[in-house]
Amino acid sequence: MKLTIEELKSVRFFDNYTDEQLKIFIRISSIKEFNVKDILFEQYDELSEIYVLLTGCLSLGISLAKEKRIRLGTLEEGQLFSWSAVFSPHISTAWVMAGCPTKVLAIDAKKLIQEFDKNCEFGFKTMSKIAQTISHRLSDTRFQLMNQLTL
Amino acid sequence: MQYKSIKKEEWDKTIEQLLLSYTIFASVENEYGLDYELIKPADITKISYNKPKPATPLKSFFLPVKENVTSERVNEKPRIILGIPNCDIEGLCLLDDIYLDDEFNDIFYRNRRKNTLLISSDCIGIQEHCHCLSYNIKPYSENHADLAIINLDGTIVLRVLSIKGEDFIKGVPAFLSQENIDFIPVIEKEHLSTMTLLEKANIGLPDYKKTGELIKNAGNNIWEKYSVRCVSCGACTTICPTCTCFLLIDQPGFEKVKQLDACQYPGFERVAGGEDALFELHNRFKNRYMCKYVWKPKKFNSLACTGCGRCIEACIGKISKNEIFMELIK
Amino acid sequence: MQVNGNIYNPIKARLIDVIEESPSIKTFVLVPENEFSFKTGQFIELSVDGIGEAPFTPSSSPLVTEKLEVTVMKTGYVTEYMHMLKPGVFMGIRGPYGRGYPIETFYGKEVLILGGGCGLAPIRSLLFALESIKNKLVKVILCYGSKTPADCIYKPLFDRLNNTEKFEAYRTVDNADEEWDGSVGVATTLLNKIKINIKNSIAVVCGPPVMMKFGTIRLLEMGYKDDQIYLSMEKNMSCGLGKCGHCMMGEFFVCKDGPVFTYNEIKHNPEIWK
Repeated sequence: MKLTIEELKSVRFFDNYTDEQLKIFIRISSIKEFNVKDILFEQYDELSEIYVLLTGCLSLGISLAKEKRIRLGTLEEGQLFSWSAVFSPHISTAWVMAGCPTKVLAIDAKKLIQEFDKNCEFGFKTMSKIAQTISHRLSDTRFQLMNQLTL
Repeated sequence: MQYKSIKKEEWDKTIEQLLLSYTIFASVENEYGLDYELIKPADITKISYNKPKPATPLKSFFLPVKENVTSERVNEKPRIILGIPNCDIEGLCLLDDIYLDDEFNDIFYRNRRKNTLLISSDCIGIQEHCHCLSYNIKPYSENHADLAIINLDGTIVLRVLSIKGEDFIKGVPAFLSQENIDFIPVIEKEHLSTMTLLEKANIGLPDYKKTGELIKNAGNNIWEKYSVRCVSCGACTTICPTCTCFLLIDQPGFEKVKQLDACQYPGFERVAGGEDALFELHNRFKNRYMCKYVWKPKKFNSLACTGCGRCIEACIGKISKNEIFMELIK
Repeated sequence: MQVNGNIYNPIKARLIDVIEESPSIKTFVLVPENEFSFKTGQFIELSVDGIGEAPFTPSSSPLVTEKLEVTVMKTGYVTEYMHMLKPGVFMGIRGPYGRGYPIETFYGKEVLILGGGCGLAPIRSLLFALESIKNKLVKVILCYGSKTPADCIYKPLFDRLNNTEKFEAYRTVDNADEEWDGSVGVATTLLNKIKINIKNSIAVVCGPPVMMKFGTIRLLEMGYKDDQIYLSMEKNMSCGLGKCGHCMMGEFFVCKDGPVFTYNEIKHNPEIWK
């Protein structure tokens, strides 16, 4: 199952891409569906795809032990996650689980990086967006930590 | 400008008469130096003229250390404060800005202001730490007081500076026909001699307009260095003519007591949850300088420091604000 | 308001109800003896006879003048006494003080409210006020975060808002329990969820200092201009009259020049943003 360019344009992460650049994503991605309590990946799993949440609800967190999951955040529609797939050593920093029927866009990380080699402008734009996602995630996590440490 | 003159003996008799209808505070020399005393007939000859300056700042007459602000006071006997240095007169301008604002006019302060005649005293000579002139404040009043007084070798000369002062003079029979401008050159000579002393003593001090930038740009090292000897006693804020921060304390019956407070005390900015933005001493120390030289001047038209130098004299740790400025200006 | 021209005198208000919102938070319902009204965002000094007073922003609608609701968290000496009070006693009120939210300037705009923790109390009052002028607004979005699900007070508020035309309300918690099935994370994560036309929008941030800072930074990154962001900078207000000096924030008296400021007015103050 593939998305059309118009459908992709309405997904937040894909703001400001040209139609040509959106076609690249369509070519190297597929839609995956998950049910309640499905684990998309565990903490420390090796990742080969980066994901964008299309519809549904996802939680992320860390595990103290296999059964002891600590929920630390939820993801919103249009957000990118599993960005570790594009950075060595490609190991996930958290687990992600579906809380309700969920659809994600799964983008092949290796193929994406090959596209960066062909098109630097596309590569720079995409990595900048990923960097911003990580920056926001870090800032929110720090804020969350501060809340626990202060009144 | 109206000048009225009267022989000292006549002036002393006038004060005795005035005591029947006014409470009078005047500058008197005691074993510790100069300060205001409540005058009784026997004290009249002890009154000191033109010697700077009473230890108590003028603000203490308008903002008592502690007062019940729930019950309105019955009209007290009008009062005269005699012997006020001009630095304190100018300091009153900031207090007027804060307490007589349109939105929240303080009825107690207003009544005291209305009820008080201010007789300022021209300074002949200076004290060790006086530096009013570096802030463009002269050692004699030209406005903001009601009258200004100078004792020239047994002749008292009064300058009338306000309508209240004029009305007062009209009501004192001894002054009815004593207009005399011959003393003007003598008075100007005294003024000039005091200003010369001030200029010499205040060499190197920045003028008020520069103080804001100097304080704003001062590094933490300055505040850490100069606050080392500070014990947060609050002497500087208590003795300062323009410091007026206070606490409102609740008493049974929904009564409120207003008590002078000081930003130098630990806990001044402590909130219920325990956080205290001014917990560290050097931050508290810096805060007062920022308030006086950067923030208050932005907010109000009046000066928040009049160069009286009392804070330097009062400081137990011998910290001198002028030393700080001299280092900053280098 | 002044009682007999004396700015320090409180008016008396009878406590008619005490609502337990959470183990440490109670809402006091008061009936002032004299006529009393306030603009949303203004604060009052609420006193316990003979014990002390503390500043609070009423959480009730400014359109309801016969009674007043004040939400109080037990954090110190005065609030501990307040929490011991039973209906029937009299409390003292001085105020209202300060500059509230200028809601007339929100006409024709989309209003984004970013709130956290105890900030929901004044936000509730703002929401009532905005509801009364909703015909003049495009839409109102509330993004609110609390530490845990139990810390969120006024729980029925969110459902009510989501059923009100032009209003959307989203909640998140920092620390979820087993039963929580909503968003997890800080309030700013909810900003990823909403659709808003920033150019025609006003943002209001209200919550603990950490939240005010992070929230403002995120809003600026999103594209809000300095004068589009309203902050409620509550800071140790004491006399409420611009005199006692306790609430000074740079050259501003928070009690008189605020507590509501635009980011533009206070962005140069290093004490807040360093």
